[in-house]
Amino acid sequence: MTGTAAREWTKVSAFIRKNWLMARRNIFTVFEVVFWPTVGVLSVGLLTRFLDLTPETTAFILIGTLALSIIQVCQLDVAYAILFEMWAKGIKHQFLAPIGLWHLALGSWLMGILRGLAVFALLAGLGWWGFGFDFFHPGPAALVAFLLGLFLNAVIIGLGVCTLLLLFGLRAEVSAWSAVSLILLLAGIYYPVSLLPPPVAAVAAAIPLTYFLDAFRAHYGFAPVFEAALLKGFATSLVYLALTYGALGAALTHARRRGTLLRLSE
Amino acid sequence: MGLSPAVEIHDLEKSFRSGWPRRRVQPALRGVTFSVPRGVIFAILGPNGAGKTTLLSILATLLLPDRGSARVLGHDVVREPHRVRERVNMSSGNANFLWSLTPREILDIFARLAGVTGRVRRVRVEALLDLLELRGHAEVPYSELSTGLKQRLALAKALVNEPELLILDEPTVGLDPDVSVRIRAQIAALRRERGTTILLSTHYMREAEELADEIVFLRDGRILARGDADSLKRRIKVGDAVSLVLADPAAWERLRALPGVLACASRDGRVECVVDDARKRLPDLLRHLHEAGVEVHDLRVTEPDLEAVFLELAR
Ligand SMILES: Nc1ncnc2c1ncn2[C@@H]1O[C@H](COP(=O)(O)OP(=O)(O)OP(=O)(O)O)[C@@H](O)[C@H]1O
Ligand SMILES: [Mg+2]
Repeated sequence: MTGTAAREWTKVSAFIRKNWLMARRNIFTVFEVVFWPTVGVLSVGLLTRFLDLTPETTAFILIGTLALSIIQVCQLDVAYAILFEMWAKGIKHQFLAPIGLWHLALGSWLMGILRGLAVFALLAGLGWWGFGFDFFHPGPAALVAFLLGLFLNAVIIGLGVCTLLLLFGLRAEVSAWSAVSLILLLAGIYYPVSLLPPPVAAVAAAIPLTYFLDAFRAHYGFAPVFEAALLKGFATSLVYLALTYGALGAALTHARRRGTLLRLSE
Repeated sequence: MGLSPAVEIHDLEKSFRSGWPRRRVQPALRGVTFSVPRGVIFAILGPNGAGKTTLLSILATLLLPDRGSARVLGHDVVREPHRVRERVNMSSGNANFLWSLTPREILDIFARLAGVTGRVRRVRVEALLDLLELRGHAEVPYSELSTGLKQRLALAKALVNEPELLILDEPTVGLDPDVSVRIRAQIAALRRERGTTILLSTHYMREAEELADEIVFLRDGRILARGDADSLKRRIKVGDAVSLVLADPAAWERLRALPGVLACASRDGRVECVVDDARKRLPDLLRHLHEAGVEVHDLRVTEPDLEAVFLELAR
């Protein structure tokens, strides 16, 4: 690596290292990576048994649960880039450093991907063991595209949460835990978006996750609702990524004008 | 090419807006102008709410000013904040870091944020642990450190990028006197050994006097006076206050003429004098009174308090 590249990577690595150390010492990590995802898949999986669902509908629902668990844990890491500092009342130090927001976003996202993959491994094992469900059935390319889609959705949500935190301080903390529930309702985690009333369906069509779920479920025998779903998924993701990244930058400027960074550090 | 000053600010203004729907506007800086040459220790002295933190935060790019200009090491803080952040660092008395990380980890993370790579980073982190005498506590979680250790860690953190300008916001606030003395010695050593320009705020007159080559008095967002400690003391008659009760109250007139006595007045039966240094002048003063046959019934010596200084200045 050239000197400049090495320096830039070092700045990114600061965010990976920070989240890694915090995760290692935080009892909530066990809940985030193991407990809640396990509870989610087991309760939903058992529900499908109780309702006597066909293997196809079971697949449909388990894919939704997996997606939700992975997005939640990955977006939390991005949100933690700001949230931990706010809890510690020391956020100003991070923004005194010569970093760009992309260092923050990329570093914490990479850590989120790591934790997301751990959740995937756990749930894929549980799904196989408990319900005979094979997450690898669609093949490596489709699986990688699906996971990448989930991680993109996660970073978009995470950056959105960071934006709200910078604008409203810890009053916005609740968004870190509830943003994903809104997606759950709108993106058709547990039901096809075709069930939604037309205006809401239009909102669903604006959420990238909808397309990634559609594309992945097609491999389990569900007729796709959208044409070129993956392409639309990535295209909308990039648009939202650009928007939330821009919003975060604007929120930081706003915070520098308002003195929020100081108020949140005392 | 001559070096630009460490800090150059001109007519700087900043107000805080808060509240909704009814807006409150709180002015914090009302047109501040000064410059700091390189290699000096420069103190901003002022009471609570004077605007010290606001001023320092603008220079550290944590805050955007409303009006006026501020250049740090030749870079405009609004237009080139990234350049400023590379060459400056800031620490404050009330710094906080992530509760479960250890000093070594905290310094490592901030060195990474500054873009310090590989071996250089490891060596620098260890050197800082030694410099600020943190080695014995390098593995203790931040939440378990004492206030003095936290303050030293904050200072160490501010050195990870080897800044040319170090900004310290009340570096000894809330510390025991002996801990404060150590921190001050470390600040003085930084300038002496590394040539770092240091801009610090404090509300302790003594601290400014002991450390700084130059002092500005800030109150209500305005600079009231500026100069080195001695000239300021002479000009604004700030020194130790000696308060006496004399058997012959009229004797106070004579004290005025003694060397080192900056001011004297009689109020409510007490004689209040201001001397530049009580330890040096008190023996003379007492000898003089003794020789004149004036009995001293009561004597009190107090350090100058900042409010009094400002009252003096505001006249
Ligand atoms: N983030 C903020 N939001 C709103 N008002 C603020 C903010 N920071 C400072 N102020 C106000 O601006 C004024 C100057 O505050 P500042 O913190 O700069 O003073 P200071 O000299 O550092 O005081 P202290 O000795 O208490 O630290 C005060 O009236 C304060 O209430
Ligand atoms: Mg202050």
